[in-house]
Amino acid sequence: MTVTELPPFVRADGPDKVSGSGRYTADLTLTGMLHAAFRYPDVAHGRITRIDTSAAEAMPGVLAVMTDADVPDVHYTWAVADRTLFARDIVRFEGEVIAAVAAISPEIAKAAAAAIEVDIEPLPVVNDIEEALAEGAPLVHEDWASHTADDGIIRDGNLAIYSALQRGDADAAMASAATVVSSRYVADASHAAPIEPRAIVAQWEGEKVTIWTSTQVPYDARDGVCETLQLPASQVRIIVPHLGGGFGGKCGFHFEAHIAALARKAKRPVKLVFSRWEEFVAPDRRREGMIVELTTGLDADGRIVARKGWVGIDNGAYMADCAFFPQLAAMHVAGPYNIDHLSIDAKLAYTNHQPSGSVRAPTAPQGCWALESHTDELAAAAGLSPVEFRRRNLVDTGTTGPMGQTFDEIGALRVLEAAHAAAEGSGPLAENEALGLAVGWWPSFAVPAGAYAKMHGDGSVQLITGAQECGTGAVMTLRYLAAEELGIDVEKIQLVYQDTGAAPFGPGATGSQTLLNHGRAVETATRDIAEQLRELAAEQLEAAPGDIVLADGVASVAGTPTASIAIDELAGIAAGGNLLISSGTADVPEYPTLEGSHCVGDQGMAAWLAPQFSCHVAKVRVDRDTGVTRVLDVFAAHDNGTILNPIGAHGQVEGGILMGVGQALTEGTQYGDDGTQLNAGLLEYKLQTIADAPNIHTTFIEIPTANAGPKGSKGLAEAPNVATAAAIANGIAQVVGAHVTQLPMTAERVWDTANGTADQNGASA
Amino acid sequence: MSMQIATSLDEVLAALAAGARPIAGGTDLVVGHRQGKAPLPESLVAIDRVPELAEIADGDPLRIGATVTHARLMTDQVVVDRLTAIADAAALVGSPSTRNVGTLGGNVMNGSPAMDTGAPLVVLGAEAELASADGIRTVGLDDLWTGPGRTSATAGELCTALVIPARPASSGSAYVRLEYRRAMEIAVVGAAASVTLDGDAVASVRVALTAVAPTIIEIDGLEGLTGRAIDDDLLAAVAEAASEQASPISDLRASDRYRRHTIGVMARRAVDAAARRAAGESISVPVNRALGIGAAA
Amino acid sequence: MSELVNLEVNGTTYPVQIALDRNLSGVLRDEVGLTGTKEGCDDCECGACMVLLDGQPINSCSYLAAQAQGRSITTVEGLAEGDELHPLQRNILATGGVQCGFCTPGMLMSAQALLDRNPDPTDEEIRIGLSGNLCRCTGYARILAAVQATAVELNSTSSS
Repeated sequence: MTVTELPPFVRADGPDKVSGSGRYTADLTLTGMLHAAFRYPDVAHGRITRIDTSAAEAMPGVLAVMTDADVPDVHYTWAVADRTLFARDIVRFEGEVIAAVAAISPEIAKAAAAAIEVDIEPLPVVNDIEEALAEGAPLVHEDWASHTADDGIIRDGNLAIYSALQRGDADAAMASAATVVSSRYVADASHAAPIEPRAIVAQWEGEKVTIWTSTQVPYDARDGVCETLQLPASQVRIIVPHLGGGFGGKCGFHFEAHIAALARKAKRPVKLVFSRWEEFVAPDRRREGMIVELTTGLDADGRIVARKGWVGIDNGAYMADCAFFPQLAAMHVAGPYNIDHLSIDAKLAYTNHQPSGSVRAPTAPQGCWALESHTDELAAAAGLSPVEFRRRNLVDTGTTGPMGQTFDEIGALRVLEAAHAAAEGSGPLAENEALGLAVGWWPSFAVPAGAYAKMHGDGSVQLITGAQECGTGAVMTLRYLAAEELGIDVEKIQLVYQDTGAAPFGPGATGSQTLLNHGRAVETATRDIAEQLRELAAEQLEAAPGDIVLADGVASVAGTPTASIAIDELAGIAAGGNLLISSGTADVPEYPTLEGSHCVGDQGMAAWLAPQFSCHVAKVRVDRDTGVTRVLDVFAAHDNGTILNPIGAHGQVEGGILMGVGQALTEGTQYGDDGTQLNAGLLEYKLQTIADAPNIHTTFIEIPTANAGPKGSKGLAEAPNVATAAAIANGIAQVVGAHVTQLPMTAERVWDTANGTADQNGASA
Repeated sequence: MSMQIATSLDEVLAALAAGARPIAGGTDLVVGHRQGKAPLPESLVAIDRVPELAEIADGDPLRIGATVTHARLMTDQVVVDRLTAIADAAALVGSPSTRNVGTLGGNVMNGSPAMDTGAPLVVLGAEAELASADGIRTVGLDDLWTGPGRTSATAGELCTALVIPARPASSGSAYVRLEYRRAMEIAVVGAAASVTLDGDAVASVRVALTAVAPTIIEIDGLEGLTGRAIDDDLLAAVAEAASEQASPISDLRASDRYRRHTIGVMARRAVDAAARRAAGESISVPVNRALGIGAAA
Repeated sequence: MSELVNLEVNGTTYPVQIALDRNLSGVLRDEVGLTGTKEGCDDCECGACMVLLDGQPINSCSYLAAQAQGRSITTVEGLAEGDELHPLQRNILATGGVQCGFCTPGMLMSAQALLDRNPDPTDEEIRIGLSGNLCRCTGYARILAAVQATAVELNSTSSS
């Protein structure tokens, strides 16, 4: 299908976005507004011996300067409370905020931030996962044991979180294997890199603060402000104007409290707009670097009998939302394969890097890249083609996977066959071209969410939801769900969203769950209104409510279409009496159970609700003399359950794949020996351009899925980002004869692999 | 701070004599200022509306005005036909918008060893024309570029044009660079070649290298190739000479090892493309995109 | 030190009192009041700030506002004819080429400049023409389709 043949779906926010009238946070200006600037350390690790803000405070035009001394004494964040708003005594990464300034212009604010005198005594930098976990390593948090942690968290010094997956007896089964293959893969950190740098505006009126911010999760941002500034939830309102992309990088709470605190101190509204450099180094959401070591044993038929492995993950300096990463990463390197004997250890390590956090399918693209590279090595060792090896080992309906979850109907084998067939049918390959194949999986996350609905007297409807639109268009689809429940035109439905002052709780744009959870809440709320309409119509038409059908703007009696009344008219009647208002929540479905396996340091990531499957086949061309690789086509097949919004779904797959191409080839954070980022800008951290973009051919295997989202849908936005880098890796390996063991697979790394000189480029690190 | 928008060369030279600095597209100046690397000069004179600085004049020598943009260089028929390597290089600079404001003179006077148009100018024998209130002089590029970001021009001097001797018949040139993506790139390494043929044999060949030394460098010792056919042996000799004479550094874009290898690949591909053009083959501008990815042959 | 500078934006002349070191994107957003032009990187690497200067695309983040005097500036707000969206705007919505929308204004300006100089571009010419505009959401396929569709639409209109 070409894109122009898809059914139309025009975003409600589209006209604002194409005309330039849509307002993003940085576009807002309030009367009397000041501009904020942060002061950062020049080192990745050091002890602050002196801070003198007097010169900055004396500068004309500066109205507030703040440090740790000016905010409540609160340690915060998820799972392990290891962090304060402003650095206290020790700085642990280059983007840590030491001080903040509010001034009458951005230029004065920057100059004042630079004028703050900060003396820092450098401390040894923990610059690497294995270095961090080594015996006697310098501790990133000397006082780690004093930090409050959630129950069940296993940690020790630089080992921030430990989890393990165990099933059967991996050692004994490995000893009986006909073939054993071991691999080691190392992925660099990378970035979400939304095109909109984050921005925040805060304004106080009395005891209440309103914060306009570019967050993906308004309620998390609100809770962060409440926790760190010790304010009741009722006094903090978060509003998100149009959001210029997030990809996880804008999940949660970031700098909203800093700006709110500045605004309170300066008694003026304050605005923060990040530079691109700040967007690279300061937020606590970076895609984590990862080390993966796997050993897999096969029987004589090429079936997996045992897998053992180890995953090391770079958490960076503070805990953002990484507590579940080790277990999730372990699931990704175990993979969507049937394995009766499994043992995977996973360790999240503190380093002096920017904190890691949920970037689009956290841990999955790197884990899948390592696993699927290893899987092609297994196929070769077994003398099987990549697709045949996977046929023999992939999970599918009724199998129990690596952790003993019995799968309901899933499309794992069907996506494999569909993508494989599409690629094979695409014509002959030229010299130095190859097709690389990889399979990925990703869970759906069910969490509570709420929605309000009201039908006005004129028959128009307002849906008020805690959902957040980050670009995917999933929020827009909520209108269609409501229109169908109510039997009215979608144009009559208006959305109120991304405002904690108006909407019930929702988990925002995170975890691919906008439709999955907010969708169910909207269905519940609008179903309630529909019931009220049926009762009203039943009175008017002298029929039973159960016989009333709502469709095409009309309530009619089933079987007697002449007995009908316009829904608008019913709304008018209700407006004078029992108002058509309702609320709905999304009940969390029951998660599957695991049989015969054991989770150490469980974070609830081993049993997967409505798992999503994808297979990507990348057609690559490698310039063997330089290692420069180009991805010409990607053939993608996806099982994301029922597809509700085809244009949106294709857009998610295409965008996810191109992000995967970038991760595969050009997107990797480089660290200097001092622990600072060397390529914190868009010239040296290279996103793919339209000139690089492959042609993407997508097939959806639609399986209406029980116990999941509306109409049998699953999540969608993260899954397309999982398998692309792995598919490209397997294509490159076919051309150059060996797997590149570092991600991204830069031209130089590909060239080194082709020449057998990979040991000279630090691949052993 | 002041800005004068000049409409004649005399106005520009008078402003320079009074201490102003020239601004054409201004990208380097404005980005440097906004990133806090270098403040804007107190007094600027805009030279982008001076007609005599924006001319391309055919003849012997050919003359390209300093404010001719990369966008014009890549499409101007004189440049594409006769100075093709310059068109190749201009077409690879940044993106359409940066090519639109970036100028040849700005590139040359920036003195960066990574500038794409530098190596083509060297192999085509270009000289820079510098004007000041005191008069006009021409200077060879090897005398102009004294180090990374440094030139021998004085503060009152403006580069007004690049002057290039006409090419003999059966000549061709090409510029090839290593790039990790197909747009918005900066040279990791690059090579320009100019080849004149006498039948099937080489009458002359010049090769210059981008981003492998403190300034653009020309490969020495290629005179020995005169009289030989363009074949794999000759191309291998060019590659070897390029790799040997380069003195690359390791940085975040590449290791010295990789640069030393790939500069040889680029030099070989540049000579091959230049020779094919000299023999009359039409290879569209830029060579990188005509021949495939990342300057793949 | 500020000076009175006259800027012609979308056919209207705006006298603005600005410091001469101000960049054009900042002046368009803060002084002229047109915030459709976005800022994503400050060094010509993302294209969100793309505007047309005498019909040619420039990165307005890295161009001095004072240098634009006497030239005609077009921003995304100048694309539509009154309430009627420009075909590029309409088509990029119809194909699904808009997600977060932050790159969209700059993308539209590059596309407009491309179609002005090359009304019938090949796929490769569109790719090169838009290569200075980064999009993180879409994978570009639908943006490419929107430009293709607009070229077809404008060519059929002009030839009929």
